Amino acid sequence: MNRRPYTVLLIVPTGVGASIGGYAGDALPVARAIAQICDRLIAHPNVLNGAQLYWNLPNAFYVEGYGLDKFASGCWGLRPVHQNRVGLILDQGIEPDLRLRQLQAADAARATLGLNLTDYVVTDAPLQVELRTSASGASWGTIQNPDSLLRAAEVLIKQAKAEAIAVVARFPDDTDSQALQQYRHGQGVDPLAGAEAVISHLVVRTFKIPCAHAPALTPLPLDPDISPRSAAEEIGYTFLPCVLVGLSRAPHFITSKCDRPQQSDVWAEQVDAVVVPANACGGSALLSLSQLPVQIIAVEENYTQMQVPPEKLGIKALRVNSYLEALGVLVAHRAGISIDALSPALSSLRCLS
Amino acid sequence: MTTHFIAAEIDLQESPVQLQQAIDAELQKRGEPLRWSIASVDAETQKAQVEAIVTVADDSTALA
Repeated sequence: MNRRPYTVLLIVPTGVGASIGGYAGDALPVARAIAQICDRLIAHPNVLNGAQLYWNLPNAFYVEGYGLDKFASGCWGLRPVHQNRVGLILDQGIEPDLRLRQLQAADAARATLGLNLTDYVVTDAPLQVELRTSASGASWGTIQNPDSLLRAAEVLIKQAKAEAIAVVARFPDDTDSQALQQYRHGQGVDPLAGAEAVISHLVVRTFKIPCAHAPALTPLPLDPDISPRSAAEEIGYTFLPCVLVGLSRAPHFITSKCDRPQQSDVWAEQVDAVVVPANACGGSALLSLSQLPVQIIAVEENYTQMQVPPEKLGIKALRVNSYLEALGVLVAHRAGISIDALSPALSSLRCLS
Repeated sequence: MTTHFIAAEIDLQESPVQLQQAIDAELQKRGEPLRWSIASVDAETQKAQVEAIVTVADDSTALA
């Protein structure tokens, strides 16, 4: 059988308050379900990371957002690997006790999961992450010392031969903020997510290797009313384990089509379907993929702070109410079954004039 | 290198890919685009509100 591998891209934009996937890895059940009915699932850290929780999906590609945009635009391809040597960057701004927690998590990933890590690097200056919320309600952020981050990554890549980079940056503790309280209770926008994406984007753009970020924060006071969607971030001292697991098998980026092709390489034109929240269609990856013969499935139930439905941008998408419905569409699409044939009303063919 | 948050208003284009190019061109005026998304679309004015982070290089940004 010479069948095209059915490839699905699952996008839940970061830091936009997605009602599914806007909290602590709470789109992971969606990813697990889609992974069951496709050959290849491409998703990003915001979908697959659950702090200390994660799930090994053998057919999933863990692709950071900057790399995902480049992949969707056709500039970069993805090359699966069996394992990566993961280098760890710790922000100099992390206090000694908190740093030790991160290092113990890294050692645990080595001893308990068998992951391959290089020695770590501490940045030569505090990264000084600053958080902000935009007019739209999305979380964004900047870092004051991006060059320090990039120097640390360069050391790991050149000296320790790291093939992927995990970054732990000290994020501001703002335990009394309304945004944090809402987030812990499964409402509003993750106040950290936008700045996290900036950190990983910087490394991927500069070095073209996989990268993901986990924040370092002091433990929060115990709260009996934590939302299940946010609870994965309440059960330990570090969010690093999921990042290390994801990066340990993240595909490499092929940045030139002149690179000797391998059969397992994946390029944008091999994507069959994209699943995205229905009012968050304004990302670079979706705009790129909308130019290809890709089935775009817009999930209405996954509400976000964005106000960008596909129709307003001229993107042809199939609207569905829920991820359950999206799964049905994917199954039919993969099987070559028109979804019109699955509904009771099927009109007769008309003659094109 | 410094990182900056910016907001921009971009005219809607005939196709998504043209819009993408227009966004990139506008952001390039302010720095090197790192991450952006369209946050809303005003059908009346035919404009997209874009939020972005750009980086601006300075003399001390060279890597070792």
